[in-house]
Amino acid sequence: MSIVITVPDDLWEGDSEGVITAWLVNDGAEVAQGDLVAEVMVEKAQYEIEAPSTGVLSITKQEDEVVEKGETIASLES
Amino acid sequence: MTISPTADKAGWTLQRPTVEAGLALDEALLESICQGESWFGLVAWSPSDRALVMPRRHERVAGFPEARRILRDMGWPILFRATGGTPVPQSSAVVNVALALRCQVGSSAAHLEWGYRRLGEPWCEWLAELGVADADLGSVAGAYCDGRFNVRIAGRKLVGTAQRWRRVRGSRDMAMLAHGAMQVGDTPESLVDVVNAYQAAVDDPQRFEAASHISLRQALPDLDLDAALPKLLERLANA
Repeated sequence: MSIVITVPDDLWEGDSEGVITAWLVNDGAEVAQGDLVAEVMVEKAQYEIEAPSTGVLSITKQEDEVVEKGETIASLES
Repeated sequence: MTISPTADKAGWTLQRPTVEAGLALDEALLESICQGESWFGLVAWSPSDRALVMPRRHERVAGFPEARRILRDMGWPILFRATGGTPVPQSSAVVNVALALRCQVGSSAAHLEWGYRRLGEPWCEWLAELGVADADLGSVAGAYCDGRFNVRIAGRKLVGTAQRWRRVRGSRDMAMLAHGAMQVGDTPESLVDVVNAYQAAVDDPQRFEAASHISLRQALPDLDLDAALPKLLERLANA
């Protein structure tokens, strides 16, 4: 089963873009639900993103890539 | 949004740590919210030394190691901070105020703009109380680490603001840290020159302008900051 990891869609108003500033876990690593996996910056705010479930991380958006709210940045295979 | 009135006022006196220790104060404040130990906190500090502080992602910029050496030789070692933005000089000419809150996801409070207004609007009210008629929030062309929610005086940047958000342990609630860095002394040139030296060292053509910044001393030359600062913290606590 695949669970996607997304940028929150209710964190900011308007259409400002964010950027992935760090992946805290390597691509292909196994993570547990609640583990911090990434940081996104938008409007000078750093937002930590957690794993929504346990699984093997597959990163689809790399560090320094621009992201929009609600966008999928990775998936977890369990 | 619920805010407990149990903020620790002992932390409201202006502390004089090193920059590194001051950044650790911010982190400890956020962590106290994340651990569920409190719902609200404030910390105010002004560095006893100096450093150029930026998010860690700048470490990936080409030329960063050489820039770090150049800035260190200038007496401005580079340190990393947990909030967003771009390089900001920290010295005894800067007063930092960090506000941390527990926010319930799904409430109107749980977004960035709210967080910036929660920090910036009481700051503007404090300035008005001190006699500054034209303080507001907004961006400033030509300012370093610019954003949409600087505290401005007459359109010039006085306070730079940034945030960090983290999940509260064992809860859907979020912890927000909103940080303001206010230039209180020295001239804007003295700090802008440091950022421009970094820009040159990493071969970034963007340069910043002293005229886009203002220090509190320029706006209020006769202000007794030690006497006035507690009133800012009270406003931030009671907003």
